[in-house]
Amino acid sequence: MPRVVLAPALARWIVAAGDAIGERVLAVNAADVAGALAEVFAQFPQLRGYVVDEHGAVRHHVTLFVDGSAMRDKTALDQPLRAELYVMQALSGG
Amino acid sequence: MSDLLLVSTRKGLFALHRKGAGWTIGEPHFLGDSVTLALVDRRDGAWYAALNLGHFGVKLRRSDDAGATWKEIAAPAYGPTDMIETGDGKPAQAATLKLLWSLETGGPSEPGRLWAGTAPGGLFCSDDRGDSWQLVRALWERPERSRWFGGGYDWPGIHSICVDSRDPRSVRIAVSSAGVWTTHDGGDSWSNTSHGMYAEYMPPEGRFDPDVQDPHRMVQCAGAPDAFWIQHHNGVFRSVDGARNWTDVVDVPPSKFGFAVAVHPREPDTAWLVPAIKDERRVPVDGRLVVTRTRDGGRSFDVLRNGLPQQHAYDLVYRHGLDIDTSGNCLVFGSTTGGLWLSDDQGDSWQTLSTSLPPIYAVRFG
Repeated sequence: MPRVVLAPALARWIVAAGDAIGERVLAVNAADVAGALAEVFAQFPQLRGYVVDEHGAVRHHVTLFVDGSAMRDKTALDQPLRAELYVMQALSGG
Repeated sequence: MSDLLLVSTRKGLFALHRKGAGWTIGEPHFLGDSVTLALVDRRDGAWYAALNLGHFGVKLRRSDDAGATWKEIAAPAYGPTDMIETGDGKPAQAATLKLLWSLETGGPSEPGRLWAGTAPGGLFCSDDRGDSWQLVRALWERPERSRWFGGGYDWPGIHSICVDSRDPRSVRIAVSSAGVWTTHDGGDSWSNTSHGMYAEYMPPEGRFDPDVQDPHRMVQCAGAPDAFWIQHHNGVFRSVDGARNWTDVVDVPPSKFGFAVAVHPREPDTAWLVPAIKDERRVPVDGRLVVTRTRDGGRSFDVLRNGLPQQHAYDLVYRHGLDIDTSGNCLVFGSTTGGLWLSDDQGDSWQTLSTSLPPIYAVRFG
């Protein structure tokens, strides 16, 4: 099963009070990026608005790494996922 | 006089409490995150804070225990077919929430009602304390909106919302850059009410066009609600007829440029401004930070400087960076360089609450 890694800057929004902030790793049963994100949002509905905007588009300053490579086209969420989706804040966002 | 003050900054929200003759600055809420505005709902005591998380979007939080705990509530959201077009030649794009730029409560007879002004130009209404929001379609779908443009941002934005104390269905909003818009039926219909404003930044033939006016901030006198003041991009305007007609207030010392304005809650002729050198520079005139006050509807002004830095001051006060409490005696303002000053005597003298806070976006009495 692929795994989704949420960078600390994102995982901080789902950390329980008092717990340390760090990466969060989730196992998903998905074959592509869209499916993996859908599982993340099903588990943590509050994260949806942090990763995508109200139209479902990946936010301008969110970067996705799929199996080690940055997604060049963040609208192509049907890109196959084999092992790891890394969701992180883009440095362009400050 | 108010004993609670919320200060929204680039690095968090600070609650200040009056203690004796001074104020104590509490531990920051949302330390490190940009808080663009905050609101205390005087009807039920709830606190609201708008966060702009940069990477992760614009968020809204509510606290029902004076900041001890916060709950994430819905942020206004645009629909799948909503587009933002601007009158200054930028390409059309899908409308997404860029900034929560104003947040006000409805009237005392409307428990739970909130109004939110946003960039890129949508006004939203909630009747459940922000748990859900509806775009005010009657305004969004006005054909003139395609001619609105941004002032300071790429997109137009609603930064001022005035709910009439006589009838909360009467609401006036101010838009950068689209002038003043008024509804008298709770938002079902709108008209532009910017008559009298002019825009020096436009070619001559377009200077009186109501849909290009750039009011920086609009305030309404609660006790005399036909009286409004506006700090506009190129001057100060006043209305005494319910925001239908606007009069240019001339000879404002030391400068007619600025962002913030406050009006006394019961004396419509008394207002305060925080002037700066006009738009190419945006710093205090001669490096001296001053507040300008009129008590006669703008015919004359006092320049107030007692207690404010009078050399090497480069503090700019943003449009939500000045507030007055319900007594009409206590004023506060915060600056881009983290200065925070308060007056208990209508601006005659000022005490420094801090010179080292993060850049201040908004101040608000509780």
